[in-house]
Amino acid sequence: MSQTSEPLATSRRPTSMARREAGTAILFLLPSLIGFLAFMLFPIVASLGLSFTNWSLLAPPSFVGLANFQRLFTTDPIFFTILGNTLFFTAEYLVLNIVISIGLAVWISSLKIGQRWFRVIFFMPTFTPTIAVSIVWLLIFTPGGLMDYVLDLLQVNFPNLLLDPNLAMQAVIVVTLWASVGYNMILFNAALDLVPQSYLEAAKIDGANAWQRFWYIRLPMISPTIFFGTVMTAITALQVFDQIFVLTSGGPGSSTATLGYAIYQNGFQNYQMGYASSMAWVMFVLIMMLTGFQFWLQRKWVHYDS
Amino acid sequence: MRTLTRLTAIALLGAALPLQAAIAQDEPVTLTWTMWSGSDAETAVWRHLADMVTEQHPDITIDLQTASWGDYWTRLPVQAASGQLGDIVAMQSLRAPNFYQILEPLNERIDGDGFDIDAFDSSIVGGLSVDDTVYALPYDVGPWMIFYNKDRFEEAGVELPEPGWTIEDFTEKAQALTSDGNYGFGFYPVDYAMFSSALGVDYLDEDGNLALNSPEAVGAAETLANLVTEQEVAPVVASGPDSGTITSGRFDSGNIAMYVDGPWVMVNKAQDVDFEIGLAPLPRGEGDLEAVTAGSGFGIAATSDNKDAAWRAIQVLTGPEALEYLGSEGRALPARTAQQASWFDVAAADVYGAREALEYSLEHSATYEITSNWNTVENLMNQYFPLALTGNQSPQQVMDTIQSLATQ
Amino acid sequence: MTAETASPASSAKAGRKSRRRKRSAASIGLDVLNHGLLCVVALFFLFPFFWMVSNAVRGNAEVLAIPPRLFPNEWQWGNFVEAWLYLPFGQFFLNSAIVAGSVTAITVVVSALAAYAFARLRFPGREGILVAYLGTLMIPQAMLVIPLFLIISRVGWINTYQGLILPMAFSSFGAFLLRQFFLSIPKELEEAALIDGASRLRILVSIFVPMAMPAIGLLSLFTFIAQWNNFLWPLIVVNGMDKATLPLGLTMFQTQQGTAWNYIMAGATLSMIPGVILAVILQQFIYKGITIGSGFGGR
Repeated sequence: MSQTSEPLATSRRPTSMARREAGTAILFLLPSLIGFLAFMLFPIVASLGLSFTNWSLLAPPSFVGLANFQRLFTTDPIFFTILGNTLFFTAEYLVLNIVISIGLAVWISSLKIGQRWFRVIFFMPTFTPTIAVSIVWLLIFTPGGLMDYVLDLLQVNFPNLLLDPNLAMQAVIVVTLWASVGYNMILFNAALDLVPQSYLEAAKIDGANAWQRFWYIRLPMISPTIFFGTVMTAITALQVFDQIFVLTSGGPGSSTATLGYAIYQNGFQNYQMGYASSMAWVMFVLIMMLTGFQFWLQRKWVHYDS
Repeated sequence: MRTLTRLTAIALLGAALPLQAAIAQDEPVTLTWTMWSGSDAETAVWRHLADMVTEQHPDITIDLQTASWGDYWTRLPVQAASGQLGDIVAMQSLRAPNFYQILEPLNERIDGDGFDIDAFDSSIVGGLSVDDTVYALPYDVGPWMIFYNKDRFEEAGVELPEPGWTIEDFTEKAQALTSDGNYGFGFYPVDYAMFSSALGVDYLDEDGNLALNSPEAVGAAETLANLVTEQEVAPVVASGPDSGTITSGRFDSGNIAMYVDGPWVMVNKAQDVDFEIGLAPLPRGEGDLEAVTAGSGFGIAATSDNKDAAWRAIQVLTGPEALEYLGSEGRALPARTAQQASWFDVAAADVYGAREALEYSLEHSATYEITSNWNTVENLMNQYFPLALTGNQSPQQVMDTIQSLATQ
Repeated sequence: MTAETASPASSAKAGRKSRRRKRSAASIGLDVLNHGLLCVVALFFLFPFFWMVSNAVRGNAEVLAIPPRLFPNEWQWGNFVEAWLYLPFGQFFLNSAIVAGSVTAITVVVSALAAYAFARLRFPGREGILVAYLGTLMIPQAMLVIPLFLIISRVGWINTYQGLILPMAFSSFGAFLLRQFFLSIPKELEEAALIDGASRLRILVSIFVPMAMPAIGLLSLFTFIAQWNNFLWPLIVVNGMDKATLPLGLTMFQTQQGTAWNYIMAGATLSMIPGVILAVILQQFIYKGITIGSGFGGR
């Protein structure tokens, strides 16, 4: 992103050594590049092209210029709601995900026995098929479902999450956390495992308490991994789709409609592929901006060794 | 030597090509048939139909490709977009206005061959037509009806519904059946269309455009919402893709006594539940009942290279013999009126009042009036209508929103 | 709060060795409490799985009963067998295994090669290509499906294993993850080997790969699981039952004639077994160290 180390290779005349190295590099990169060009770059360019058309999938597309983007920002009555929902989801989910996964990772690493079993338990939801995640949680959250029943037994008066426009997003967040907190947990837990024991012992002898050892030693040492996890989680959070698709369909009203869902809805349900592509590109810009911001922010908190 | 053989091969190939083109009519042809199927057993039934085609037309072999019901509709536009449609495309009436442009118009072939289209139920021929052009030959038809839990009616001492009953009768019974956390009725937002049609309410204007916020259409929405908000005879449903299956599941579990569905669910339903199921037509309003129908059929892809063969094939697939077979397997209520008896004897045998309710509904059947973006309308219904059921918004507000989003 | 409970224990193995001395009853009590509390949290986490199995072994009509029942009225363990026999699940398992296994294998090899080039070799345009790779992670998958399908249909790969596998096997995530890890491997190690005349490929295979086993284990696990549960792409590419994968198979229980909730739950439970086994096995590769290298982004 912010790297400006380009001149390295170009400033000097390439020696034969450097040329050989570049040759090797190309050989090493070749398989990846071929796949990248065929299965990534081409589809991406195609989708950019589509965003300037009115393709319905069923009839040939025709060029409409910036009409899709114009509709997005001026006439679509719910676009800004969708944008707001997406940012709201990303902010709340990202914070909760990182806090919970660090918490679980640290907690598990503190155990004397059974570390591996706890890791598998908290990782298990990540390999549950989406359709099963949806049905299980639907049977819990649906009006008259398990959650209503339990709250009723406890005589707690709380609205049904899926029926309340102000709470429906919380249901989506709970399900998403359950389904994916395991990825970061396993990543952070593995990083913690690598913090040299001697550092902690030394700090202990110096009289650092548990909180200090966590805050001043372990956290900084795994901060590059946390940064990686945060960037990846933010990227997936901005694209959130599955859980909304299976749980709320964006409702009630437009309270859980996000960009990812709107792209699917417009492209595959309303067959407005051109319009969906323009939304995808807005999302792309949004993700780029957020990722750029995170890279800028990392200078302030990520601790790099050496 | 090797060069020689290669040359000979090329020469032979060159000679064979024009020859092949000349006799293409009688050459064996393989037709691709894209169909939905949910199990091996179901696939075997479609396979059997495909074999019937080959039996009658030995020059035609059929390559059957299946996807599950939901997946079929996600894949179809993608196949269309990339020119990968099968020769024979299965089409459902509710999706026809959306997809008709990928299908070959059949009117000329029907007229040219003197094909007897009147042997089919007229409402479903209408359902598979757009602007009076037929795009697919139907194999099944089904009116939406009220499925009821006969045991619950008897326990509550409520008289069973009779064909010709009115919305007032219906509400009265629903109230009498609501008690102890169980409900007299259950529905989900998409049922709005069948319900208003039954009551004689139009939600499209004369030109076939969406008019969901006309006073009449909003009135029907209020009637439906009131069942939840005021009369409290039906449970509230959340927005989501499964709201319909949840309603159906609540019926199976005995928690709601009546709900709306079509005859296509009867094959499994009677086995799933531990009570006796009864069937009644939808309740009518002031005037006569208008029971809208849905059904499916087979069309020819507009991009197909084998349209003539495909036309011969779909005539067999929807012919009397094939539909008799589908009916007797309990798979589908045949779209040909003369073959319907075969289905009644099998699928309707365990369902109380089935024959009466179906015959009455088919007598009063009407084509389901929908717009070309009906898919969008249904999604918006599912998404926004629950707001009217929880009292967050009035039915008027909800219908205004859906109307404006669906027509933007 | 977590750190407080975590503290007295620090890490298990090292703790055991260094503290042979008699431990106070209080410290043991704290450990028991620590484990106990996490067990409670884990139980909450596991509840949806209990709910899944509980719904898998009841009659379909019981799934949506009001009030919901925690345990079935009648335990129908046979549902697992029936769900298995209702559809060609054996074939679905095989297809999923072939697809997820191949994608994982290709991804690991291709990513390791590319990651080495990014981390260790100098060539013009390196940073540019890397940024482009990172950028592709930000494009929603749904948008790429249609152009991808056009390519696949053009080369005649519809309903084939290669059509299912290849488009999914070149995710830039892998190259990126491994690059981060390779950056943290000390340069001195390879310099010695280079002087000895070892080829770059040799260095990658004999030095980097063994050292990066945790990251490779992690990448394999994430890739395998993502492909095992991938839905959208197989949905578009597969025609019929012969190449269908498990997630597609599960949707076949939702038909026009109704939804077999119990069979979906039973099928989903069965489909999770390989993932659990893989996670248990790969753990031993992943643990014993992973850092997402120094120098992720700025250096």
